[in-house]
Amino acid sequence: MRLTALLSRAVTMPVILAWLLFLPPDEAGAQPALQPLLQEHQAELARPSRSTIGPVIAALLASDHPGITDFLRKWEAREVYLRPEDGLFFYAEKTGSRLRLIDIDSGAAVAEPGSREIEQIRPNAGVRREVAAALVPFELNAADPARRAAALDAIARSAEASQIAPLRESIGTETDPALKIRKERLLTLLTAQFAPTRSERLDAIAGLAGDISIEARGVLNQLTATRDGVAAALPAGANIARVLEPGTDLTEAQAHDRLVAAGLAPPRQTAADLRDVLAQHIVEGAVGGVPLHRLNTTAERIRAYEALERAGTVPPRAAPDEMARAVAAHVFYTEYLQPDPRITQAAEDALAATTRTLGLYQVADLVLDGLSLASIFFLAAIGLAITFGVMGVINMAHGEFIMMGAYTGYVVQLFIPDYTISLLIALPLAFVVTFGAGVAMERLVIRHLYTRPLETLLATFGISIALQQLAKNVFGTQARPLTAPDWLSGALTLNDIVGISTIRVAIFVLALIFLALLLFILRRTRLGLEVRAVTQNPGMAASMGINPDRINMLTFGLGSGIAGIAGVAIGLYAQVTSEMGANYIVQSFMTVVVGGVGNVWGTLAGASLIGFLQKGIEWFNPSNTLAAQTYMILFIILFIQFRPKGIVALKGRAAGD
Amino acid sequence: MGNPDITPRQSFLARTPSVLWFLGLLGLFTLGVTVLAEGFGMALLSTSMVKILGMTLCLCLIAVAMDVVWGYCGILSLGHFAFFGLGGYAIGMWLMYARTEGIVIESLANAPIPPTQEEITNAIATQIFGVVGSNELPALWTFADSLAMQLLFVVLVPGLLALVFGWLAFRSRVTGVYLSILTQAMTLALSLYLFQNDTGLRGNNGLSGLQNIPGLLHLPQSTIALWFFWASAAALGAGYLFFAWLVSGKFGSVIRGIRDNEARVRFLGYHVESYKLVVFTLTAVISGLAGALYYPQAGIINPAEIAPIASIYLAVWVAIGGRGRLYGAVIGAALVSLASSWFTGGGAPDVNLGFYTINWTDWWLVLLGLGFVAVTLFFPRGIGGLFDLLVRKP
Repeated sequence: MRLTALLSRAVTMPVILAWLLFLPPDEAGAQPALQPLLQEHQAELARPSRSTIGPVIAALLASDHPGITDFLRKWEAREVYLRPEDGLFFYAEKTGSRLRLIDIDSGAAVAEPGSREIEQIRPNAGVRREVAAALVPFELNAADPARRAAALDAIARSAEASQIAPLRESIGTETDPALKIRKERLLTLLTAQFAPTRSERLDAIAGLAGDISIEARGVLNQLTATRDGVAAALPAGANIARVLEPGTDLTEAQAHDRLVAAGLAPPRQTAADLRDVLAQHIVEGAVGGVPLHRLNTTAERIRAYEALERAGTVPPRAAPDEMARAVAAHVFYTEYLQPDPRITQAAEDALAATTRTLGLYQVADLVLDGLSLASIFFLAAIGLAITFGVMGVINMAHGEFIMMGAYTGYVVQLFIPDYTISLLIALPLAFVVTFGAGVAMERLVIRHLYTRPLETLLATFGISIALQQLAKNVFGTQARPLTAPDWLSGALTLNDIVGISTIRVAIFVLALIFLALLLFILRRTRLGLEVRAVTQNPGMAASMGINPDRINMLTFGLGSGIAGIAGVAIGLYAQVTSEMGANYIVQSFMTVVVGGVGNVWGTLAGASLIGFLQKGIEWFNPSNTLAAQTYMILFIILFIQFRPKGIVALKGRAAGD
Repeated sequence: MGNPDITPRQSFLARTPSVLWFLGLLGLFTLGVTVLAEGFGMALLSTSMVKILGMTLCLCLIAVAMDVVWGYCGILSLGHFAFFGLGGYAIGMWLMYARTEGIVIESLANAPIPPTQEEITNAIATQIFGVVGSNELPALWTFADSLAMQLLFVVLVPGLLALVFGWLAFRSRVTGVYLSILTQAMTLALSLYLFQNDTGLRGNNGLSGLQNIPGLLHLPQSTIALWFFWASAAALGAGYLFFAWLVSGKFGSVIRGIRDNEARVRFLGYHVESYKLVVFTLTAVISGLAGALYYPQAGIINPAEIAPIASIYLAVWVAIGGRGRLYGAVIGAALVSLASSWFTGGGAPDVNLGFYTINWTDWWLVLLGLGFVAVTLFFPRGIGGLFDLLVRKP
């Protein structure tokens, strides 16, 4: 190592001399050339190692040469080459398969050597990190905003005290307002962690209160990080976070485990240990005089061990109260890693404020989630609200209409590759397909069963399993994708906590549109009037000149068609399978029943209740959505006990009965 | 009483000759299977076939119960298969525990020191619940080592669930399709609950190895299959007799009245809710018993068995067989479940249409669904209704 350094130094000296001799006079006058400066550290730059590169970089940067940062960046990026014959550094550009060397100072092409005649300089990862860190202050003031942003990222990744000063200086000259805000926030984070004086840090920590960004929370959590401790007495001068009371804060066994881990108490003898020890001392079918076949209770085993103990073959067993005494003799606590109690206190306060803000945002996010789930339930159930709610027909195949709509969307996408256009075609087409299916089903099956509602349930169930299997036969069992167009695949995010995917917003909007459309049709159109008349009293409606057959057919078709459109929407965010409808059918029926049969507003209320409820229950136990569904169904069963007619119950004659 | 048309009360068997016919046929069938079975007679029926027939008898029993609650009392319950599954879980817990205990004791027999009870229990728990990442025996399994307690649970758990659920539902006068949806919700909740890994019943792994009956491990499966077949036949015969007796008397008249016009029966002074509750709970208990006989023959039970669709299939069987006649339920259950296993098991030959080959494994459900629609539309009395054409009532 040393020999090579000497050797290269010996080679370098004459080169530098030659360089100085042949220096073109005009360039030398404008600014000092970089190459001689580099040649001073030729060996370190050519064979960089992490241990030696620090002072070199510092020296180079101290020279304040305008080209130096550019050189270091290129050097770090392995774009600098060394020509061994004279030891000079060059930049290079590729011309075909060969390299063209470029003079570092003049920028002129110098030569096109063969690959054997030059060496690429390859600093390793450690060296490159050093360089990157050293370059940060320069990068912070770089002309290109993207580079300034990258420098900020680098600081955020590996923060240290030395970055405070350059960061603070760079804020004054920052022109981009967004970057300026980022710099100021980063400065606060750095100050809170590394500032030399306590008052500065306290101010910065106070500034972090309520900041819900992950970085700010990370800094505060780091400042309030604790470690568990155990000692005979509370250590003086330690920044104690909390003294733990064995029995309330931690169990006696846990406390004892800590003592054992700290080497303050001998380990407990477990049942397995006891058994193993006894097994090692079997003498002629007995242990300590106790025959083997009697050693199948803990009491007998202890008796055998004590016999061994008296004989002196095994170490004495711990006395029964030894664990309690050991625990009582020590104090258990958690201790802040940060020694200054005022800093940790300020950080705890700031963290509490952040937690409050965070809670508010989490509630907001929960509301958004609930809203989105409610609109999905509403969309799935709204067709049912017409066929079941208004007409009183139990259609177990409703879920299969949803599936049909989703598969329609899938098939359309197979033919039309543009997702936006295919979606625009799929929505009305799904309506047409399921409207047709609904009308056919009403004509062929349901019409004959209007007086036998329970059998409608079974007949439509027959149709449901037939349709499901048919879909399986045609499309296969694996899930088919229904891809959303790009403008629907993003997400609206307010901050790190509150966000919602665009597709869910679209579903919500779609649900609102359906609600308005349905209310309009039922209340403001001739068809709606006739539907309401027929469902209330078909005989009277018929005598007024309404054709109940036609109205029933159209109503059922409408409900089924809406299920088809819902299918496209649901298929966009979930996958399309032959069972997707079956997953929604029970929930949809419950939505309608809970909301109140015969009322679109009721369905909305039911969907909202179920959606928010499910999200609410999930919030308590996020890992277990199955449990949330279970409890929600139990709640609904109980709810129906107390309000059998649902949330929005019809009153008077319209209630039927 | 002055009405001369009313003859003195005959014995119930004389009034319902179909019961004797049924019991006679069931006896003949049992005898036939026994003679042909591998474990006893001429070995023309394989053990797996005997098991399928025994399981079918259990399904017939729950179908009879379903017929009583739906065909006679008018409650379309979509939850009876949940009771069936609960019965299966209750007996399955003992089967699995006792079998694992045997294995554990055997494997610890070579240990230098005999194991304590605690060590045995821990080893059993690890063996059973390792698959769901636990090594503790849940509180639910406290009595799993006792056959008597678990047999009690076979009756108690479905019975109590039906009692509480029925009391809540009937009390608030939930009727018709609403009741159906509510029972379906109950079934869904139960199956979702059982699907969770941390509920102490092994999540979606279910209970397995139930065909190994502890204490009878030295017997070949062919013998055990036959024993269970006999037990199933006896249970079906007894259940049939009991329900036939129940519906033939005054109680039967009242529940039929409830089916046809609930309000009128209430106005006549009957406490409709109590009658419904009795029918609902009784049939749930019988369903649980049927499940307890079914799953040792099936060998495995998991939450998918309890899914709402199973209960709907049950209603389908009864409707195809013919509601309001117990033998109809038996015919429907036997026919559809056997046909189902024949078609989906690849027993049925493919139909080549030239341009397309109908593979029955894929198309059986389509056929069943459409056939079911046809039965509902054109033969509301089901297959059992055909007997009305043969038998002319006096």
